[in-house]
Amino acid sequence: MQHNEEKTCWNCPAALLKGNVDFRACGQSIEALRDKISEEGLLIECARRPELGMFEPSISFEQCPEWHETRFGYLLKDMRVMILGIDGYLGWTLALKLAKLGCKVSGIDNYLRRRAVAEKGSKSVVPIADMETRLKTAKERLGVEIDFRELDLLNRDELEEYLREVQPEAVVHYGEIPSAPYSMVDAEHAIRTQHNNTLGTLGVLFLIKEICPEANILKLGTMGEYGTPLTGRPIFEGLFPADAVLTWRGQEWSMGGELTPRDPASFYHVSKVQDTFNVYEACKYWWLRSYDVMQGVIFGVHTEEVSEHPDLRTRLDVDEWFGTVINRFVAQAVLGIPLTVYGSGEQIRGYLALEDAMECMVRLLSSPPEPGQYDVVNQLSQLYKVKELAEIVAKVGSQMHGLTVRIQRVENPRVEADEHPFLVVSKKLRENLGYQPKTPLEVEIDRMFTLLMQPDVRGRLETVRETVFPKTWWSGEHKESMTLEVHEPGTHAAAGYNPELVVSEHDGDE
Amino acid sequence: MNPEAAIIGLDGVPIHLLGELAQRGVMPHTKALIEQGCLAKMRSSLPANSAASWSSMITGVDPGTHGVYGFTDFIPGTYTVCYHSSSKLKAPPFWSKRPGKRVLVINLPASYPAQPLNGAMITGFVSPQLEKAVYPPELLPRLKEDGYEVDVDASLFGKSIPLFLRKLEETLDQRLRVLDGLLEKDRYDLLFFVVTGTDRIEHHLWDAYADGGHEQHQDFLSFFEKVDAAVAHVASRLEPDAPLMMLSDHGMGPAETAVNLNTLLRDQGYLAAGDDPRKNYNNIRLETRAFAAESTKIYLNRVERFPRGSVKPEDARQLCDELADLLSGLRHNGRKVVKEVHRGRDVFRGPEAGNAPDLVVTPMKGYSVKTGLFKESLYEEDFLSGTHTEDDAFLYLRGLSRGDLPDDPCIEDSIHVFMKQLEI
Repeated sequence: MQHNEEKTCWNCPAALLKGNVDFRACGQSIEALRDKISEEGLLIECARRPELGMFEPSISFEQCPEWHETRFGYLLKDMRVMILGIDGYLGWTLALKLAKLGCKVSGIDNYLRRRAVAEKGSKSVVPIADMETRLKTAKERLGVEIDFRELDLLNRDELEEYLREVQPEAVVHYGEIPSAPYSMVDAEHAIRTQHNNTLGTLGVLFLIKEICPEANILKLGTMGEYGTPLTGRPIFEGLFPADAVLTWRGQEWSMGGELTPRDPASFYHVSKVQDTFNVYEACKYWWLRSYDVMQGVIFGVHTEEVSEHPDLRTRLDVDEWFGTVINRFVAQAVLGIPLTVYGSGEQIRGYLALEDAMECMVRLLSSPPEPGQYDVVNQLSQLYKVKELAEIVAKVGSQMHGLTVRIQRVENPRVEADEHPFLVVSKKLRENLGYQPKTPLEVEIDRMFTLLMQPDVRGRLETVRETVFPKTWWSGEHKESMTLEVHEPGTHAAAGYNPELVVSEHDGDE
Repeated sequence: MNPEAAIIGLDGVPIHLLGELAQRGVMPHTKALIEQGCLAKMRSSLPANSAASWSSMITGVDPGTHGVYGFTDFIPGTYTVCYHSSSKLKAPPFWSKRPGKRVLVINLPASYPAQPLNGAMITGFVSPQLEKAVYPPELLPRLKEDGYEVDVDASLFGKSIPLFLRKLEETLDQRLRVLDGLLEKDRYDLLFFVVTGTDRIEHHLWDAYADGGHEQHQDFLSFFEKVDAAVAHVASRLEPDAPLMMLSDHGMGPAETAVNLNTLLRDQGYLAAGDDPRKNYNNIRLETRAFAAESTKIYLNRVERFPRGSVKPEDARQLCDELADLLSGLRHNGRKVVKEVHRGRDVFRGPEAGNAPDLVVTPMKGYSVKTGLFKESLYEEDFLSGTHTEDDAFLYLRGLSRGDLPDDPCIEDSIHVFMKQLEI
């Protein structure tokens, strides 16, 4: 049984509700709409099957010939997916994955990421082709056509024109500056981050409302929106579950369905929290549908498609601004730099291999929320402490690639709790969307070593050596973090709090 | 130049109502017309709903040939209810057989979306978007400016009866204004004008007509006075002796008690369904052998037709017999409830007969049939006071005599008789 076979027209972006049920922007609740439907019925039209005329929105994905079965569930045939930020680490990888699955992929990018990494004096250590070559190679090697427009998200006139041309059935919004340290460099970088991310997203929401209100919006959030509450209270998936209760002065209030608290950890994370509210409101005001994807830290270099040809590779950054922790550790291990663990290294985060992240995104595209539904998923496969990751990278590097790897503790340039409990709920992808993590951490780390130790990549890595070490302080200072200690792997066991990940209804039951 | 002929439709008006109102002086113009031709009782289509019956009227064939069994049907291979669309009509309407003649069609039910034709068309109920209800599209701005309403919101009746009645009158006036405007601007050979407020007022106020002391009795009569004036108005656009056909698509009778067919089928073990209102017929489970839809239609849950079908073709006949016995034997307070159970395979013979309902039920006088999936009680008071009847529609033709009509005319005969008259 496929996870989405019982979903119906209610979840299908080809079902035209606008014009058939005039509920947009009228402040009606979905409950009121449901009552209306059960009493009076509701008729829609299908953008893909106009010959059906008007009908009840009750055809299941399994029954509908427009949805075909894939290994990730039923998928809308030739689904028109527009990826904002298609040139990035995730954007390009997803574009190839979706195109290979038969989606009609289009995308925009203004190469801001390439420029920002260059500003740091770095570059993708895995050589990446320019867009023209990427598209040509995708066609030759994978037999897929991807439509690209060089376009700034903030250029609403041109984006409007492109959206009207494509009429996307799904919009994946990766078009944001994805770096906490970058946003903490100075006022200019903080403002640029929030301007691009928050106002860019707001503009996109207005355009989607006008042009393709039925589209499934996959908005990239981050687990970092939640922070790491020191009370250890659960990190739910964006909204409180139905049985959550607030008790105060002996009285109880249900919290079910309300947004959970956010406690962002940088001006970048603040931009993501602002996005969350903007998307949430847009769903409420205009009956848009969206998944806010609270993604863990992505690592890795592999998917079937990007590994098909060197010109299809996705970027890999290891500099202190854009390199995520595992990617940086592997780079440091290859360069012979002791792995830089910030502070105690007891910080717990959620992680996800690139390949698994892409599968999650496909599954989310296969199962759009209902009109007006703002849904949130915590997208991660496992929780680790930073120091555990250093140990694992060191182990894979030494045992499988003959490297001598050491670990260094450095001053933590960030304002964050070094030690904290972390109880994370990540049930929806597994329970509702059929996702199971497939890529073990060690396997992907091994792939990264293999790639980064290739002579040409290794050579590029040398040229960016100076950009890996942390120099951006949350305090606003610009200085190198001091090394507190250098040690051999296996000598500093993790201590303190244990991470807790709840992936099913019964996890943690007594 | 005046049009050479006209058809006037009075939706849902039974012959006895027309006759009585003509005799009582409520419809004097109609009375005068009747004297110039022949008026006969006419059978409606099976099922007797406006989508099936008007489709039969304009094509001259039965639902087994034109494929329209009601305003709703099932998307093939699913339990999903789809709405009628003119693009699904499988037989050509009469005007397409006279391509050289310009026709003006106003307010024809079940003709949405408007299809191109030599002339102009504004479709009647149910037409969700005015933009698609009009051909040619150039007519649209004028209609929008005039606030043209395809149908009166029936829920108004529950909110304010006077407002409902006023709206009925206003829409009729509006349609006549549109007719005049179009005739001033262009030449048409044939007019086809349908009054649908008749059906609406009868559904809601049938009891008001029957009861002289009813608060809305006079309102009911006043509306028909207005209908009579409209008939005269349309007729006045023709030469005095030009061919004029007037007809209803079905009759109407009292609806005192509604019988919920799906409740009966569920209680008797023929229907097993979940209770999610949004899934409607998709609630049907594999154990189901039969279910009812759109008032009078009963479908066997056939393996070759539905995704969770359970009835094999070889078992269908026996199951139909069983259901017919069940329905025919139904008694309420000692009274018979169902007048007739028609077997689809016997009644419908054309190329579309395969999509027909397996059974069509006609209730006894005083009863109406409903098919909501989630009703608890088998019987309840009908929220409408009038319900369709299949055996007492009317057919009138100016200049013809009873002998020019078939012995027992049915609705698909009407257009053949009229076309023959035009040819002469």
